[in-house]
Amino acid sequence: MDTLINLMDGLAAALTPQNLVWAFLGVLLGTAVGVLPGMGSAMAVALLLPVTFRLDPTSAFILFAGVYYGGMFGGATTSILLNTPGQASSIATTYEGHKMALKGRAAQALGTAVIGSFVASIIGTLVVALFAPVMVEFALNFGPGEYFALTVFSFVAVAAVVSGSVLRGVTSLLIGLAIGMVGIDAQSGTARFDFGAASLMDGIDIVIVTVGLLALGEVLYIAARGKSAPNFAAIRTGRPWLGRKDLRRSWKPWLRGTALGSAFGPIPGSGAEIPTFLSLGMERKLAERRERRTGEKSEFGEGAIEGVAGPESANNSSAAGTMVPLLGLGLPTSATAAIMLAAFQQYGLQPGPVLFERNADLVWTLLASLLIGSVMLLVINLPFAPLWAKLLKLPKPYLYAGITLFSVLAVYAINTSVTHLVMLLAIAVLGLVMRTFGVPVAPALIGVVLGPIAETEFRRALAASSGDPSILVSSGISVGLYALVLVAAVLPLIAYLRRRRATARATADVKEPAERP
Amino acid sequence: MSANGTDEKHAAGDDPSETTDGSGSPEATEAVETPGTETDAGSTAVAAAPDPENTVWRGPAAWIVPALTAILGLVAVWGAVTIEAPPNVTPPGPGAFPGAVGVLLLIAAVCMSVVNLRNLGSGKGASPLAWFEGRPVLLVLAGLVVHTALLEFVGWLLAGALLFWVVAYAFGARAHLRDAIVALSMSAAVQVGFSLGLGLNLPGGFLELVL
Repeated sequence: MDTLINLMDGLAAALTPQNLVWAFLGVLLGTAVGVLPGMGSAMAVALLLPVTFRLDPTSAFILFAGVYYGGMFGGATTSILLNTPGQASSIATTYEGHKMALKGRAAQALGTAVIGSFVASIIGTLVVALFAPVMVEFALNFGPGEYFALTVFSFVAVAAVVSGSVLRGVTSLLIGLAIGMVGIDAQSGTARFDFGAASLMDGIDIVIVTVGLLALGEVLYIAARGKSAPNFAAIRTGRPWLGRKDLRRSWKPWLRGTALGSAFGPIPGSGAEIPTFLSLGMERKLAERRERRTGEKSEFGEGAIEGVAGPESANNSSAAGTMVPLLGLGLPTSATAAIMLAAFQQYGLQPGPVLFERNADLVWTLLASLLIGSVMLLVINLPFAPLWAKLLKLPKPYLYAGITLFSVLAVYAINTSVTHLVMLLAIAVLGLVMRTFGVPVAPALIGVVLGPIAETEFRRALAASSGDPSILVSSGISVGLYALVLVAAVLPLIAYLRRRRATARATADVKEPAERP
Repeated sequence: MSANGTDEKHAAGDDPSETTDGSGSPEATEAVETPGTETDAGSTAVAAAPDPENTVWRGPAAWIVPALTAILGLVAVWGAVTIEAPPNVTPPGPGAFPGAVGVLLLIAAVCMSVVNLRNLGSGKGASPLAWFEGRPVLLVLAGLVVHTALLEFVGWLLAGALLFWVVAYAFGARAHLRDAIVALSMSAAVQVGFSLGLGLNLPGGFLELVL
């Protein structure tokens, strides 16, 4: 009950007309930056950090909350409309979202994304406020062994998003892991794969990899496709509101996605992308089961609304969830959280257990501002979702020229370094090759993000046990995670063997598909 | 899109482990492959669009990805072997992880080669580069190279505008004057917006000296 009262106090402190203007501006700016391909909420918060120097902490955090959510929604918009997610956490949305856009249901996809984000961030924030102490305790139980198990689990979860060949997906993951190895090894301080270049010592920034593989790689790929490229002019934005059928199919994925996001968000290192992919996989399986039971056709593979509703809610609730380790432990678990940590420090505040004691009012104001930010998100972006969808009506040459310009800008803005642009070119060519040959790029991104974490935790665990590998399976949490890995790897294999038998039977019989219900 | 095609696409798509190459007998591979291509041909929104993720590689170009993967694997293994670890480092040193990734990359390259050889006999698949148009790609790349080279000399305004114009040209814009105006205003809007609004200083180049 205490927490609710605290949250109400926070709301009272945050709800001034002036702060509402900051929230409004934040969501608007966040969405504007987020819809630029290759730029996500992390970029938006980073770019706005200098602007907030002159504000008091409360206003600054409200602005950040707005930018954070606006940027996340902006990322969903580009994923759906342009197939170029701005951040790792909106990759899962592209699969079904872009297909919906190609079918003329862009507005519905955006609608379900914005309502899903709203539901998820409201529930996510409440969950954070109510269960923060419990969740902090749970997150504190994670040692290096558990972290490593978690990353292995995420690598296997990657298989769930590869539509074509698993071999190509694994290759992509390995390429990502290789890119992630460049730079100084955090454990021993040894320079690795720097090829004598000082600029490679810091590693290849994740923004360069994201922009290069996704945004610029896509531009090059579309250029290579020439006349066979998808025609956006044919995309209709359609009715702006969700129909009853869309709502009926959306609300359960919203809640399931929220639950997944809230569960994973507070776990350090898991990031927002794991729950989004888990949600996508789960909705797909559930749609298939429903198809078998009730005969309602699963639309997965050609624009299923569940495949947007679930991942988008997971994305936002895990964004709220990352506030738990950030506020409770002072541990940033996402790029955006890392920048927010910098913002805290700029005000002379050090997040951590002490913060809850000394600046409790500020913590509750921040949580309340997350609530305000999500309401603003709904108010601003639901009516304007069709307007964002109009982005596709731009002439194609200008659209891609604009994406190229902003990709270059985003990378140059990291450190105003031309060397980064050279790296961007190399990664973009890699992205073109991968796309051309049908090697999926998403696993590579996951490899780049999680590879260094996996390696660090693995070596840290072995260092702690002085080389005894049994530490990797010493706790219930890691054993449980490895069991899940086995299940995730074996279940598709069984399904594959069953289908193979069924196909063999069908071809032996008459030439008729056997799986038809 | 025929109901037939859609149904089968789901049957083919619901299992992530299902592979068009890699494991499995040629018959199973074929059963998976056919519905995919059929649906793509029937899809109206992306008329006659090839789907690279479900294309079986064929011809000399099929060896490009295995070759690149093998090279990357060799670089990783070479790096792992030649790494100079500090003497006091605890056992799984800085070379262990690169070595493992390198070996796995080499294994992946071998697997892809085996798949290629197997497809050689069965005679299916298509050249992955059948639809590839080199000219616009080279134009965009040239624009990026020139932009990177010129950015700090001529400033963001002109370098950005040039990049915009070249990419628009590569994508088929031919109203040269209008393109140039759009390019300049985009570039200028970005510079002004980022310098004034966000405090990010983009290089002004020689214009800075003139103005």
